[in-house]
Amino acid sequence: MRFSVGIACKNIRRRPVRAALMCIIVLFLSFTAFMGGFLITSLQNGLDSYKARLGADIIVIPSSAQGHGTVDNVLLQGITGNYYLSKESLKKLQSIEGIEKSSCQFYLTSAKASCCSARVQLIGFDPETDFTVMPWINNSIDTVVGDGDVIIGADIAYPADDTLRFYGEKYHVAGQLQKTGTGLDNAVFTNRNTIRKIAQSAAGTLERDTLKDIDLEKAASCVLIRVKDGYDISAVADDINIHVSKVKATPCVSMIESVADGFENVSVFISIITVGIWIIAVVIIIAVFALMMNERKKEFAVLRVVGASGKMIVSAVSFEAAVISIAGSFFGLAVSLLLISPLSESIRLSFSLPFMQPDITTIIALMVGAVIMPVIIGAFTATLSALRITRNETGLLLREDA
Amino acid sequence: MKLKTENVERMYFRTGRNTNFFYAVKSLDFELKEGAVTVITGRSGSGKTTLINMLCGLLTPSSGRVMLDDKDLYSISDKERSLLRNRCFGIIPQGQTGLQCLTVAENVLLPVSMYGRIGDKENKARTLLEKLGIDDLWDVYSNELSGGELRRMSTARALINDPDIIIADEPTGDLDDDTTKFVMELLNDYAKKGASVLIVTHDKDVLPYADMSYTMENGVLKEV
Repeated sequence: MRFSVGIACKNIRRRPVRAALMCIIVLFLSFTAFMGGFLITSLQNGLDSYKARLGADIIVIPSSAQGHGTVDNVLLQGITGNYYLSKESLKKLQSIEGIEKSSCQFYLTSAKASCCSARVQLIGFDPETDFTVMPWINNSIDTVVGDGDVIIGADIAYPADDTLRFYGEKYHVAGQLQKTGTGLDNAVFTNRNTIRKIAQSAAGTLERDTLKDIDLEKAASCVLIRVKDGYDISAVADDINIHVSKVKATPCVSMIESVADGFENVSVFISIITVGIWIIAVVIIIAVFALMMNERKKEFAVLRVVGASGKMIVSAVSFEAAVISIAGSFFGLAVSLLLISPLSESIRLSFSLPFMQPDITTIIALMVGAVIMPVIIGAFTATLSALRITRNETGLLLREDA
Repeated sequence: MKLKTENVERMYFRTGRNTNFFYAVKSLDFELKEGAVTVITGRSGSGKTTLINMLCGLLTPSSGRVMLDDKDLYSISDKERSLLRNRCFGIIPQGQTGLQCLTVAENVLLPVSMYGRIGDKENKARTLLEKLGIDDLWDVYSNELSGGELRRMSTARALINDPDIIIADEPTGDLDDDTTKFVMELLNDYAKKGASVLIVTHDKDVLPYADMSYTMENGVLKEV
């Protein structure tokens, strides 16, 4: 073994270009394995989180709000919006049959000006009727959201003095929510009384004064509905769309389906690229090792002449390939870790899909896989090529060369 | 150590217009004399290299046996045969056989480092290289050597383990007259110490060193 290791190390040292080329091919294998796995896992996590966060069967928003700032935009991309349902619409909604629970949310955008700490989507919910935000808050923090308190999303920097300023007033940050990988990570949540107070301060300061004709006591931006058992969700949504004017009721399942379709397309795309690169890289590795071994026939023949057994030669070649593959895999991993942040961000923005990084255990598993798989492939193909050559009789190898 | 063949034959296939096979070595009984220099001459393609490859355990005969003392070289395992080749044989193959990733010293000490520690063999390597006139190339990589220097390096490598059997295929090819003389005297010294030396060559300058001389023609060996 000592001899095999020694000769392998000398070969690598004396043939740095050959070793570097092999390293680069393995680097691609490792990089694509890790990045492919990381991106698909992050998108899957994001989708799961998105499903969990919707929590309702139907979402009702003003028909005028469709487009920018709708619930799915807020959820997926954090696009902010101010829109409100009329009093009549809210009243009419109560009469629709099949609704088990409903809870209103009030959306308000903070301004990007000195009056506010940051431009974020403020979401006011009613703790008494809410069935979507409260379970999430309860999972994340162990505190009651009182009047004057706000809870911030995971991507908002926690203020040093525990306060955020909206339209000139300071509000106490009572906690921070767990990451969801959706636009809600950039939102600020508060109860109905507090959002009403913020809205009062905001009245007259917003670019388009959308609050001018709004009854802040009763206004809502959206209504989240849970349908009674035995009722068809789509039928209830259709009922709302028919009987309640100026609103758009969307079954959440269709929002999930549309995001799931997007996820499916992107993950198929990433998988195809990953598998494609792997196939090309594996074919290149096999071809390069086969060529390299062919070129080294004479070297193996000389080793046999001086007394090396076939096993010693195969060990030396396998060790050499393993060292090169391990180095290539670690370089690939290093490049992946450097590119994770910019690539993840760019994928999230390009595909408008929820994106949540996997936990550390999954990341470590992906890293281990990204190192082990290319090493196995590299060492395996080299070993096979060496076995093929050492099976030939040395006398014939010498004869070929003479 | 006694090295002999018993009715050894080696057949090769040739593909071409008239696909066929031919015998490179035909039904050969031969015993290598201990403590002597045996020289085999013959035209190219007469079967000389095939014969010595079979004798070294590098090419399985189509039929017959190659016996090293009482061991059939081709009925033992590859590991055992490789170890025997390392310990008992000193082989100078045809052509340039330096490992490019190694220096001259590392090439010469390769048979030693393969199964053990180099220890005092380093001095032995220096002495051999000195006798062959290439001691100044000790730490030069083998891809920087001339053809003649590589031949001498291969000779030193073959002799480093003080083998009982030395088999050399054209050991003086690429060498000038003076160097040929040094190499042959060195091989002769080993024969005098008891080693069996077999040389296959076209070089007529080698013949004066031969204790026994054969010629090979169409796979048949004849004593001269």
